[in-house]
Amino acid sequence: MVQFTLPKNSKIKKGKEWNPPAVDADPDRWREYRVYRYDPEGGENPRVDTYWVDMNDCGPMVLDALIWIKNKIDPTLTFRRSCREGVCGSCSMNIDGTNTLACTMHAEEAQGAAIAIYPLPHMPVVKDLVPDMTQFYAQHREIEPWLKTDSPTPQKEWRQSHEDREKLDGLYECILCACCSTACPSYWWNGDRYLGPAVLLQANRWVEDSRDERTGERLDDLEDPFRLYRCHTILNCTKACPKGLNPAAAIANLKRKMVERL
Amino acid sequence: MATPLKRVRGLGAARHGTETFWRQRLTAVANVPLVIFLIWFVVSHAGASYEVVKASLANPVVSVLMLAMIWSAAIHMRIGLREIIEDYLHNKLCKVSSLMLATFFSAGLAIASTLAVLKISLGG
Ligand code: SF4
Ligand code: SF4
Ligand code: FES
Repeated sequence: MVQFTLPKNSKIKKGKEWNPPAVDADPDRWREYRVYRYDPEGGENPRVDTYWVDMNDCGPMVLDALIWIKNKIDPTLTFRRSCREGVCGSCSMNIDGTNTLACTMHAEEAQGAAIAIYPLPHMPVVKDLVPDMTQFYAQHREIEPWLKTDSPTPQKEWRQSHEDREKLDGLYECILCACCSTACPSYWWNGDRYLGPAVLLQANRWVEDSRDERTGERLDDLEDPFRLYRCHTILNCTKACPKGLNPAAAIANLKRKMVERL
Repeated sequence: MATPLKRVRGLGAARHGTETFWRQRLTAVANVPLVIFLIWFVVSHAGASYEVVKASLANPVVSVLMLAMIWSAAIHMRIGLREIIEDYLHNKLCKVSSLMLATFFSAGLAIASTLAVLKISLGG
C-alpha cells in the first residue's frame, strides 16, 4: 500500500522557540517562522522550530529571512541557496503550503500568520530543508538531455529556424528546481518508476528540438505505463512551477506525439 | 549498491501504454452520448410496466446502443481500475491479484449484461 502516514522515526515533534519577542513588541515588526528541522546524525525525530524575524532588519524575501535566522539566531539551520534570484533552482522548498523558491517568494505573499517552511515533500531529507535529489538527477540523466544527431556535424553550427526555436519557449527556462515533481501525487506514490513532470518537460524539450535526430528513440524510451503514463493530469505541477512553466502541457504534448505515431 | 542510474532505468521502458491511453480517451468520448441515452431511457420509462420496458429494450436500435454502452463502460472501468491499483497498491501479490480481480469483475459484469440484453432482444 502507498504510505499515507509518516514512519515512526519521521513523525514531527514540537521544537524549540528560539527568540520569542517581548510581549509589548510591535507585532508588525516581528514575523513568525516555523521551520522543519532534522539532523540524521542526532538520531532524533524531526521537529519544527519557531523563530521570529525582525522585518526592519531583514530583506523582503523568504530566503532573506532564512539567511537572517542563520546569521543572527541559529547557525545550524541548513538550506541550499546560490543565485538568490530564481535562476539556479537550489532554494526550492515547501513554504506556506506550496512548493516554491525561497528567493522569489515575498514573505508578504504568505497566507498564514506564521510562515511554515518544510523541505520539498516526499523526498528523503539530508538535513533540515535540504532534500536528497539523487534520484531526481538520475532521472534527468536517464532521458539523455543533450542534442543527439547522426548526420555529419556541420562546420559551424546546427541551424534552427526562428519558428523552430520558438517551440522551445516555455521549456528551456526550466531550472530543475523540482517544485513540480515533488508536488505531483503520482510522483509521490510512484517516483521510482514515474519520471515526474520536471523530467518529462525536459524530455519534451528534446523531442521538440528541430535539430535533434533521435525523436523516435526518445519516444520509445518514454513509452511505458509508468515512466510517462502515470501522469493523470492532476495539474499540481503547473500550479507549483515558480517559473510559470506548464509541465502538464509538455506531458500532454508527449502523449499527443505518442498517439500520432500509433 | 546499484547506482542511481541503474535503479532509475530499472527493467527499461515497456514500450506500450499508448494503446491503453488512447482506448481510455475513446471510451470516455463514447460514454458521454451512451450514458445520456441510458439516463434518457430510464427516465422516460419511469413507472412503465414490465412489458413496455421489455418491448422497448427489444427494439434493435435500443439493444445496439445498450450493448455499446455496456462494453464501452466496462473497458473504461477496467482501465481505470488498473490505473488506481497500480497507483496505490505496491505489494506485488496484492497488486497482481487485484489486477486479476478487476479484470474478472469488469468482464463478468459486461458478459452478464450482454446476455441480459440479448435475451430480451432475441425474445428469450
Ligand atoms: S499533471 Fe501529471 S505531472 Fe502534473 S501533477 Fe498531475 S500527474 Fe503530476
Ligand atoms: S518545470 Fe518549473 S517547477 Fe518544474 S523543475 Fe522546471 S522550473 Fe522547477
Ligand atoms: S537561490 Fe537560486 S533559485 Fe533561489
